[in-house]
Amino acid sequence: MGDEPEGGKEGEKKIVHVYPLVKHSDMNEEMRTEAIELTIMACEKYSSNYEHAAKVIKETMDKKFGIYWHVVVGEGFGFEVSYETQNILYLFFAGNLAIVLWKCS
Amino acid sequence: MAQKAGKGDGKSGKGKRSSKTKGGEGGGGGGDADDYEAWMRSRQLLKPDDQLDLTEAELGEEVTKVLTPTNTNIIRNLVVYSFKEGEFVLAPTPGNTVTLISFAGNSLHVDSEEARRQIEESEEIGYPLPMPNYTVVEQREVEPGDGEEGEGEDEDDGGGKSQKDDAGEEEEVEEEDDEEGKGTEGDEGEGEGEQHRDDEETAGGARAVAVPSKKRKLINQFNYCERAALTTTNPKRNVDTQTIPPPRSQYGANVLQWVIYDSYLENFAEQQKDGGKKDEKKRGMRAKKFRDKSAIAEQLNKKYLKCWQILERMINQNIYDDIAHDYRYWEDPADEFRDGEGNLLPLWKFQYDKTKKMNVTDILFNPTYYDLFAVCFGSHDFMKQTNEGYLCLFTVKNPSFPDYIIQTDSGVMCCDIHHTYPFLAVIGLYDGNVAVYNLREDCKEPLYVSKGVNCKHAECVWQIRWGPDMPDGEVNFFSVSSDGRVFNWILMQNKLWVTSIITLYRDNGIVDGPDGTKVSLKSGGSCMQFHPVDPKIFLVGTECGYIYKCSTSFSSKYLMTYNAHNMSVYRIDFNRFNSNIFVSCGGDWRVKVWEDMRADPLFIFDLGAAVGDVKWAPYSSTVFAAVTTEGKVHVFDLNVNKYKAICVQAVVPKRKNKLTRLAFNEKLAFIVVGDEKGVTTSLKLSPNLRMMVKPPKKQLYLDQTTLQISKLEKLLSLVRELPEGAVIHDAATTVKS
Repeated sequence: MGDEPEGGKEGEKKIVHVYPLVKHSDMNEEMRTEAIELTIMACEKYSSNYEHAAKVIKETMDKKFGIYWHVVVGEGFGFEVSYETQNILYLFFAGNLAIVLWKCS
Repeated sequence: MAQKAGKGDGKSGKGKRSSKTKGGEGGGGGGDADDYEAWMRSRQLLKPDDQLDLTEAELGEEVTKVLTPTNTNIIRNLVVYSFKEGEFVLAPTPGNTVTLISFAGNSLHVDSEEARRQIEESEEIGYPLPMPNYTVVEQREVEPGDGEEGEGEDEDDGGGKSQKDDAGEEEEVEEEDDEEGKGTEGDEGEGEGEQHRDDEETAGGARAVAVPSKKRKLINQFNYCERAALTTTNPKRNVDTQTIPPPRSQYGANVLQWVIYDSYLENFAEQQKDGGKKDEKKRGMRAKKFRDKSAIAEQLNKKYLKCWQILERMINQNIYDDIAHDYRYWEDPADEFRDGEGNLLPLWKFQYDKTKKMNVTDILFNPTYYDLFAVCFGSHDFMKQTNEGYLCLFTVKNPSFPDYIIQTDSGVMCCDIHHTYPFLAVIGLYDGNVAVYNLREDCKEPLYVSKGVNCKHAECVWQIRWGPDMPDGEVNFFSVSSDGRVFNWILMQNKLWVTSIITLYRDNGIVDGPDGTKVSLKSGGSCMQFHPVDPKIFLVGTECGYIYKCSTSFSSKYLMTYNAHNMSVYRIDFNRFNSNIFVSCGGDWRVKVWEDMRADPLFIFDLGAAVGDVKWAPYSSTVFAAVTTEGKVHVFDLNVNKYKAICVQAVVPKRKNKLTRLAFNEKLAFIVVGDEKGVTTSLKLSPNLRMMVKPPKKQLYLDQTTLQISKLEKLLSLVRELPEGAVIHDAATTVKS
């Protein structure tokens, strides 16, 4: 948040990108596509309530890819997780959101 | 004591018995037991060990006992602690009833229905029931005794009995049951003495052993034999596997707004960088896919094309059925009556839509396929040059459409088809380029094409000829152009190699250049023909009217110079039977027949118009044909008429059209002529135009070739003998049109 003034300095130069940017993922192609789509859908639908969005994502992922998914939606946080290999997705979306999904049972 | 009680009346006995139970409970009365025994006189008496031995006096003493219905031994003020109330409270007093033993028996009475049935059944079965336990047998023995007890009781009711009575009764029992009777009698007789009793009992037991055969034991809970079998128990084993847990990984990161922002910027920059590349890749992929598809489609199309070609030919054959018949079989009957003269029968016309307004610049039959001929389309008019040219290969089997079409950027002026490789066609273009096409493959792209300014003719290529293969097998061809050069082109691995054979300098053509240098004038070549026997020798006709005899071996000198025509020499053709004889035609309306190394022509014919082409017939040594711009075909047979043509026939309208080129079919008697409107007409030669030599009667064995040669020789000798210039020299016979 401390960087916001810096963004302000750039002023007109600054372009806010809102497309989903996958920062880290070892999912297979099919799962990743679906997870990204789901994330976008949930975050757009519940843009004011991250908790709700995370809940929706988690529940849907549980249904589709087996239980014990964990989802974090937020603007600022740190995490260090252990997950079942090939089951993590860490992406940015809407310019200010970070979403982490991982599976660990 | 028991006996005493027995002496008392029945009522008291009864009362005693009930008191006895109470006494038993109280732990007191040994006497009570005796009292009980009173009923069981038949039975052996058992004395408790601790029984008091009383004297007779004591025994005689009267003991008064009061019987009450209440239980004296009962504890009246029994208390239990109540936790609820925090004090001891009275427990409810137990009732007066005391249960000593409760025993639900499965014993059967021997006389009962059940027992009887069982006996019957076991008899029916016919085998002895299992041997009962001896003790059990004894117990069973007691039971019938019980039954007797009832009897005894009845007798008691009868008014009490002495011991004798009892004995008597015993006898009765004896009658009923020997065994039992004896047992009890023995007991009675011997009186007391435990030792004896024991003996008796064993004796009784021994007897009982013998009984079963006589009397069956009944089945009840005591009479059974347990037989058990135990199966082996399989040992239990534990088999288990454990799956490998799914692999896990660790990942961690910190999410901050600036991290997100930076990531986006970085990614965006990368995307823009890769954008172009990706597009290219995609395009490449698409093109590749398209190419694959089109390759398959092309193969399929080739198959279809072949089918359609056959179909097209069949349809054409049907349409032009009458022409086809004429072409093969029609012989003009009028020829017999026309002395030496013949005519031409028009057959098919070949044309192609795209070349309708172009000139036929060359016609050539394929050396291998007699029905296939190549027609070049371009323009002879300097002012009306088209920016496209065609080489079409027609077959007489399909007059409606060419079999092969080659399109070029410039007018095609000449072509040649290789003798050994009939699919190799070389063409010379108006712009001075040459190109080699492979007809078996794509007709769209040339196999070889001349490139660059130095590797081409400076002006229009007028004639092109395949040469004999080089010593090391390379295919090559020669071309002649208006720029005065003859080039030799060699088909290398992947390019055309060009060498200059000769430059056609004029003999007296050295003039002063603008800056004082001498410039030797060149004469533009207009046609070329190779000697049929010696492939090194060739003739070049020039636009100045000269014919140069040259050799490919050296380029500096002409072997011979013929001052042939007053205008451009259009075509030269060697005689098929005598290679020393050739014919030339030119723009000065004349056709001249020459002999090698003779400066003057043997024959001169004036055709009244510029002669576009002249050709010797392949079938006769004295027949040649020429086409004029008047649209007429002239056919000469020198053997028939040395002065004029034996056939002059207009093929195209005089003013509108001109004939340009001509070709004889090598096998069949017809010619094709091309005109300025892009139409190629095929004409059948009537019988008079292809007269064969009749062998003399003495020399029937001679073949036609020999005869033709001798015919020409005969004719030549006539001409040669003529005084020079007397008849022929420059006095051309004008043919009436």
